[in-house]
Amino acid sequence: MKRLLFCCAVLFFLVPPSFALELRFSAIPDQDMDRLEQRFNQVASYLSKALRMKVAYIPVKSYAASVSAFKNNQIQLAWFGGLSGVQARLAVQGSQAIAQGAEDQKFITYFIAHHSTGLRATKNFPTAIAGKTFTFGSKGSTSGRLMPEFYIRKYFHQTPRKVFQRVGFSGDHSKTIALVQAGVYQVGAVNYQVYEKERREGRLDSKKLILLWKTPFYPDYNWTIRGDVEQVYGPGFIQRVQKALIEMKDPKLLQSFPRSAFIQADNSLYAPILETGKAIGILR
Amino acid sequence: MPPLLELNQFHHHYGQQEALKGVSLTLRRGEKVALIGPSGAGKTTLLQTLFQRAQSPKAFVPQAQALVSRLSLFHNVYMGGLDHHSFWYNLLNLVWPQEVEKRRMRPILRSLGMEQRLFDPIGTFSGGEQQRAAIARALFRPAELLLADEPVSSLDPQRAEEVVELLFQQKETVILSLHSVELALAKAQRVIALKAGKIFFDRAAGFVSKQVLKELYQR
Amino acid sequence: MIYASFLILFLAFLGWVFADLEVSTLEPWAELWRMLSGAVTPDFVSLADVGQSLFNTLAFALVGTFLGVLAGGALAFFFHWRLVRYACAYSRSIHELFWALLLLPVVGLNPLCGILAIAIPYAGIFAKVYAEILEEADPRPLQAIPSQADPFTRFIYGYLPGLWKELKHYTSYRFECALRSSAILGFIGLPTLGYHLETWFREGHYASAFALLYVYYALIFSLSIWARPKLVVWWVMLALWGISKEVSFSLENTVRFFTVDILPWPLRQGKGLEAFGDWVWDIVKNQAWEGALNTFILTQMALALSAGVALFLFPWASQALAGPRLKYGGRFLLVVMRSTPEYLLAYVAIQLLGPSMLPAILALSIHNGGVLSHLASLNADQVQLDLSAAKKSGNRYLYEILPSIYGQFMAFLLYRWEIIFRESAILGILGVYSLGFFIDSAIAEDHLDVAFFLIGISATLNLLIDQASRKIRRGLKGSTVFKARA
Repeated sequence: MKRLLFCCAVLFFLVPPSFALELRFSAIPDQDMDRLEQRFNQVASYLSKALRMKVAYIPVKSYAASVSAFKNNQIQLAWFGGLSGVQARLAVQGSQAIAQGAEDQKFITYFIAHHSTGLRATKNFPTAIAGKTFTFGSKGSTSGRLMPEFYIRKYFHQTPRKVFQRVGFSGDHSKTIALVQAGVYQVGAVNYQVYEKERREGRLDSKKLILLWKTPFYPDYNWTIRGDVEQVYGPGFIQRVQKALIEMKDPKLLQSFPRSAFIQADNSLYAPILETGKAIGILR
Repeated sequence: MPPLLELNQFHHHYGQQEALKGVSLTLRRGEKVALIGPSGAGKTTLLQTLFQRAQSPKAFVPQAQALVSRLSLFHNVYMGGLDHHSFWYNLLNLVWPQEVEKRRMRPILRSLGMEQRLFDPIGTFSGGEQQRAAIARALFRPAELLLADEPVSSLDPQRAEEVVELLFQQKETVILSLHSVELALAKAQRVIALKAGKIFFDRAAGFVSKQVLKELYQR
Repeated sequence: MIYASFLILFLAFLGWVFADLEVSTLEPWAELWRMLSGAVTPDFVSLADVGQSLFNTLAFALVGTFLGVLAGGALAFFFHWRLVRYACAYSRSIHELFWALLLLPVVGLNPLCGILAIAIPYAGIFAKVYAEILEEADPRPLQAIPSQADPFTRFIYGYLPGLWKELKHYTSYRFECALRSSAILGFIGLPTLGYHLETWFREGHYASAFALLYVYYALIFSLSIWARPKLVVWWVMLALWGISKEVSFSLENTVRFFTVDILPWPLRQGKGLEAFGDWVWDIVKNQAWEGALNTFILTQMALALSAGVALFLFPWASQALAGPRLKYGGRFLLVVMRSTPEYLLAYVAIQLLGPSMLPAILALSIHNGGVLSHLASLNADQVQLDLSAAKKSGNRYLYEILPSIYGQFMAFLLYRWEIIFRESAILGILGVYSLGFFIDSAIAEDHLDVAFFLIGISATLNLLIDQASRKIRRGLKGSTVFKARA
C-alpha cells in the first residue's frame, strides 16, 4: 500500500509545468519521414539562431495531429498546407498566416496515371479517368485532397466515390507517387512540388508514370503562428518570427522544402481555400 | 506354437510407487483369462502393459471408457475401426454415416441389447449403456486379442454374465479384469490373481479354492 | 451448436458475395520478396534512435495497466450498480486506438494520451472481470472474519488470498495485451514502437522494421522473466518517473473539448432540434450506415476464416495430435501469430495486396486464428483418449478431439466475435471503408463532433454484438460453464 501511495505521490510531484521558454513548431507530414526530420531539424536550428531562443521541432504522424497540436498550444508555429492552415486558424482565434513560399500563391496539383491505363496528357480536365481506381494523398491535404476533389466534383457532378471504381488515401505525396507508379492505383493526385523534386532526383520512372493534367493555380502552404504568442514571448514576437522566416536565404535549407524563397503572407490570401473547403463539406 | 505374450519378472513404477513387482506370465492363443484381485493390486497396469506389448491385432476396453460424449452411439462404436479406413472415408462417415458400417455394427449391438437410439449422442446414455457402448466399440474392432478392464462394473448381474460370456466368445484370446470372483470362476478358463503388484496365483478356474480366495482378499 | 456454425458460415458467405477482395498491387511477390529479405537480414544498427520509443511503449503499457487496475479494481465493488456496468461496457467497447484518436485533441501528443487510451478501456475490462471473479469466489473464508470489520479489511483477508492467483493471472495476461496496444498507438502518432514501425513499413525500410519487430517479440516472449509482480512495482515507478517530465494537462483544452469540440455542429451554432435531427440523419445515411455494414461484413468473414485457421492449426500445437516434438514448432508459430498486433498485420498486408478487404480479413484471421488455436490446443490436450483404436492423428482429430472440444471452441469463437468487430472497425483507419475510415476522416476534417458520434455508434453496435454472442453462448446445447475470458 505504501508503495502504491508513493507512486501516486511521484506522479503528482514530478509533473513540472514546462517553464523553459521554448518555441515549438511542427509541420504537416507530407513526405517521407526521414526527409521531413532532416529538413525541419535544420529549420529549428536556423530559427533558434535567428530568434536567439530554444526552438524545437515536434514531428507528427498526421495532418490532423498537427492541427490539433496547434489548437492545444503544444506548438505555436506550424508549416501548414492551405487546408490545414485554414482549419488551424478557424480553431484558434487570432492566429495568422505570416509567410508562404514564393511558389505557394500559384500552387498546382498534378493528376498522374499508371501507363497501363493508356491515358494521355490533356489540356482540359481528363474525364477519361472515370471508372478507374484513384488515390488522394492525406485526407487533410490541400494539393492531395481538397483541390483534386474540388475539380472531380466540378467536372463529374458526383462524389469521388461514385466517379471512381475505388478511392483511397495514400497518406502522403511520396506514397501517392509510389502507389501509382506501382499500379496499385491507376490514377492519383499529387503536390507538384513533391513530384518535381522526385523527378529531379531521378526517383520517377517516366515509362510507368504519366502526367495527365495540371490544375489551375491556387494558394497553398503557409507558416501560421498563434495569436497569443506575444503574451508569452513578448510584444513584436510575431514580426520577429516573420522576419526570420523571410530572411531564410540558405539555398540548402530552401531547397529542402523546396521553395525559392519565403515571402510575406496573410490570412486573406487563403480565402479561396476556405470557400473550396466549404463547397465540398470539409470546412463548415 | 509360440506364446502370444510373455512377461518375465516385469516391474513398473509410477514415480516412487512400484505398481508391478516382478510379474511373470505367459499367454497363449485361444486362452480366456480372468484377472482378479483387490483394488490397487495392479490389474489396470498389468492390462495396459500387456496391451502395449501385444503384436497381434488387438482391442481394449478401458475402465475410463473414453467415449466422445458429443458423438452418437454409431460413431463411438465406429471409432473401433478407424485405422482400417482412410482419413477421407472416416471424414465421409462422420458427416454421412455409411450404410455398410451400420450393417456390420448391427449384430454386435443386438447382442448387447442396444439396437435403439443409434444416432443419439452417447452423453445422453446411462452409465450401463455407455459401458456397453465401449464394449461394442472394442468388439467392432477387427482384433484377435481383447483386453478389458472391469468391463461390466456398471451392469446388473444378469447382464454382466451375458456380456462376459459374449466377450469370451467373440474374440480368440481374451483377458478381462473382473470385480466379481464368481463370474470369473464361472466363465473363464484360467484365473490370474494379483495382490500388491505380484501374482498371487495363476491356475485353471476349476482349481481355485475358497481358502486361497480368502487369503487373496485378506489385508 | 451446429446451427451456430452454419449461421457463421452463411454470414461469411454473404459477406464474401458483397465484399471487395481484389488484389490491386501489380507485383505483390516482388514486394513480399523484399519484405522477406528484410526479415532475414534485420538491421539492428538502425535501432540506435528508438530507445525512447521502446521506453515509451513499456511505460504506457505499465502505467496504463496500473491505472486500469486501480480504477477497475475500485469499480468492481460497485459493479452491481447499473450505471457503473453501462459505463464500463461502453469504455471497453471502444478500441484503444479510438480512445487515442479522441484523446489526442484533448490532451495532445503527450504520454498522458497514450496512458489514458489504455487505462480507460482497461478499467472497464478489469472492473467486469474482477467483479466476475469476486462473484465466483468461495464465500467460506469470509464467514470466519468478524462481521464488524470494515469492508476493505474483510476483502483483504476474506477474498484476496483465495483470488490472488486468478487476479494475478488475468492481470498479467492483460498487461501483455497492453503492450500490443501501446505499440500500436504509435501508428497514429504517439511516440511508441509503432511510430517507427509505421514509417519503416510504409517507406519500405524492411530490414529496420523487422529488427524493431524482433525486439518487440523479445519483449513479449521474455515477459515471464521481467514482469514478475515484485519487479513490476519498480518498473511502474520507473515508468512514472520517466514520463512524468513530459506529461502535461491543460484544463482549458479539456473544457473546450467537452463544451465545444464534441458538441454537435447545429447546437454549437445555436440552431434547434430540427437541425440536430438533420445532422444525425446526414451522418447515419452517408457514413454510419456504410461504415457499419462494411464493418459487419469484415467481421463475419474474419470470424469464419479465424475459425478455419484455428481448426487447421491447433492440432499442430497439441501434444495428442502433433506429438511431443512437433508441438513446439506449432506452439511457436501460434505465439508469433497472436503476439503480432492485427493492426500491424493489416498494415503490412495492405502494403502487399493493396487496399481492399482482403488484407484486413487476412490480418484479423491470422491474429485471432492464433489466439483460438492456442485455446483449442490447450483444450485438446485435456481430452481423454481411447487407447486402442484411432492411433492416427487425422482420425483422432475427427472422431475424438474435435467432437469433444467443439462446444468449447464455439464458445471461444463467439467470444471473439465482438473483439473482431472492434478490430474491424479500427482497421478502417487503414483505408477499408469500415467505421474507422469515417471516424478517421471526421478527425482529419477536424469535425470532432462527428467523430464522437460515430465512435458512439461503433461502441453501441459492439455492445449489441456482445449481447448476441452471450445469448448464443448460453444457448449452446450441452455446454457447461465456459470460461472464455482470454
